[in-house]
Amino acid sequence: MRPVGDQSTQSSAEPLEFREATKRYPGSNRPAVDGLSLEVPAGEICVLVGPSGCGKTTAMRMVNRMIDMTAGDILLGGRSVNARKPAELRRDIGYVIQQVGLFPHRSIGENIATVPGLLGWDKARISARVKELIELVGLDQEMRTRYPVQLSGGQQQRVGVARALAADPAVMLMDEPFGAIDPINRDRLQDEFLRLQALVRKTIVFVTHDIDEAIKMGDRIAILREGGLLAQYGTPAEILANPADDFVARFVGADRGLKRLSLTTLGELELPKPNGHSPRLRLPDTMTARDALSALLTDGGGGALVVEDDGSVRGIATIDALGRLLTDASVPEHAVAAPAPEPSEDDA
Amino acid sequence: MIAALAAAAGPVIPDFGGGTGPSCVRDNGTFCMGWFRDNWSDIFVPALGQHVKLVAIAIGVGFVISSALALLAHSHHWTEKPITVITGVLYTIPSLALFQLLVPITKLSLLTAEIALVSYTLLILFRNMLEGLRGVPADVRDAARGMGLTDRQIFWKVELPLALPAIVAGLRIATVTIISLATVAAFVINEGLGKPIFDAIQSNVFKTEILAAGGLAVAMALLADGALVLVQRGLTPWARARTR
Repeated sequence: MRPVGDQSTQSSAEPLEFREATKRYPGSNRPAVDGLSLEVPAGEICVLVGPSGCGKTTAMRMVNRMIDMTAGDILLGGRSVNARKPAELRRDIGYVIQQVGLFPHRSIGENIATVPGLLGWDKARISARVKELIELVGLDQEMRTRYPVQLSGGQQQRVGVARALAADPAVMLMDEPFGAIDPINRDRLQDEFLRLQALVRKTIVFVTHDIDEAIKMGDRIAILREGGLLAQYGTPAEILANPADDFVARFVGADRGLKRLSLTTLGELELPKPNGHSPRLRLPDTMTARDALSALLTDGGGGALVVEDDGSVRGIATIDALGRLLTDASVPEHAVAAPAPEPSEDDA
Repeated sequence: MIAALAAAAGPVIPDFGGGTGPSCVRDNGTFCMGWFRDNWSDIFVPALGQHVKLVAIAIGVGFVISSALALLAHSHHWTEKPITVITGVLYTIPSLALFQLLVPITKLSLLTAEIALVSYTLLILFRNMLEGLRGVPADVRDAARGMGLTDRQIFWKVELPLALPAIVAGLRIATVTIISLATVAAFVINEGLGKPIFDAIQSNVFKTEILAAGGLAVAMALLADGALVLVQRGLTPWARARTR
């Protein structure tokens, strides 16, 4: 993990609550979002996921009043978003969209400085903050003077995230932020973002149509169905273990058992000692149980040594042992319920 | 020298007071440099100054009116059609016809000339301004709004800067067009580079004077165009940033 300046540790986050939030467009007989109620604890990622037309983006955009709801309420830090002027409210909420929307006529540094500038920070403070954020999202300081058109898609989205974090918002809204990135870079950006989130601990509403991304990114997942109805709200493990109905079961997919395995890493499992066994295959303990199972099946099923970062052997993994996890609901649940590591541990 | 070869029976050109080889002027040579040099300060400098004034007023007034129209069409979409139709009709009226229509009302005045010239700038400037403002990508506008920029801030900090290349492109076309068109203004007022051209036509088509005035108009157009390119580069350094 990169060293980070002092300021980012003073990170703010507020809880977010949807209360029967409803959006009805005139001339449409069905609401776009229908009585949505859910609570997002401060510092957690809530993923809104569902098929197109389920109102997930509309629900997200009601938080910063890009779309005004027609009934119900949304509380940010216990205060109704409707009680605040839209422009002022939005400066307090990070906003990341799929197409990034960087200002083409402004340098990367100027783009990141947008909201601090609107809030009237002094130059020195803005400059220090921009420097810190460029580092935080893993870009080179020399990018600061470049223009967006000179960056790759992945770099642009990193700038988008930095820009959204600039004024240390209480909440972040992210609308398919990695949707336009190729699969390999998307995976990397997702990992990077999760590491970043472990540091900044923002309350995040994350919209995607991709259930795998939802499972990976979400502390909680809200599955919406057409007509803007909430089908199920829970942790990824809860949803994968106990889909509320056929719609959810179909949406998460027939391979939901395997998906549950992706919630657990080998390091989180109790593994038997090798006892003289010495299989050829070695797997890092950071690997997910799902990827390990795949590796074992590909290898021919002889079992694998699970090794830690320093090379020491943690234990042995077999197809049978991993297969048993599929029927044991408690394991991934436990793995996910555990609190994310503190930034201090992460840095160590 | 061509003049030396020209037939003596050519048209009789009045000597415009030049101390050049009078044969060139008398024989109406293609271009009598001496005559041009001798009359530079008496004929061409004032004409050039008047021409710049005619163009500057037309572009200045046209820019102000077009800006107002573009802002109107930008904020009230329904006004775009009528504005386009009206400025389009103004654009298509032949200038000489427009002068004929205006002279009874506004007389042979600078006002008459400028009304005509300004009319021709409107469509070009208005269309380019509106295209520029509309051309701001939707995601950029959405991100600006989502970050808490007010409508006014979005206009000044995002839409206007991003529209600059289109606006300057419009100014370039309009300026070059008006520099050329302003020569016709000599029909109603005896000013600008059109004046020496008309004088020359009335003096048995004195080639040197026509070429000189025409050449100056062309030079002025090229210079103005080049200056506007420099202005645009200065205002929009981002537009030249190299893509990866």
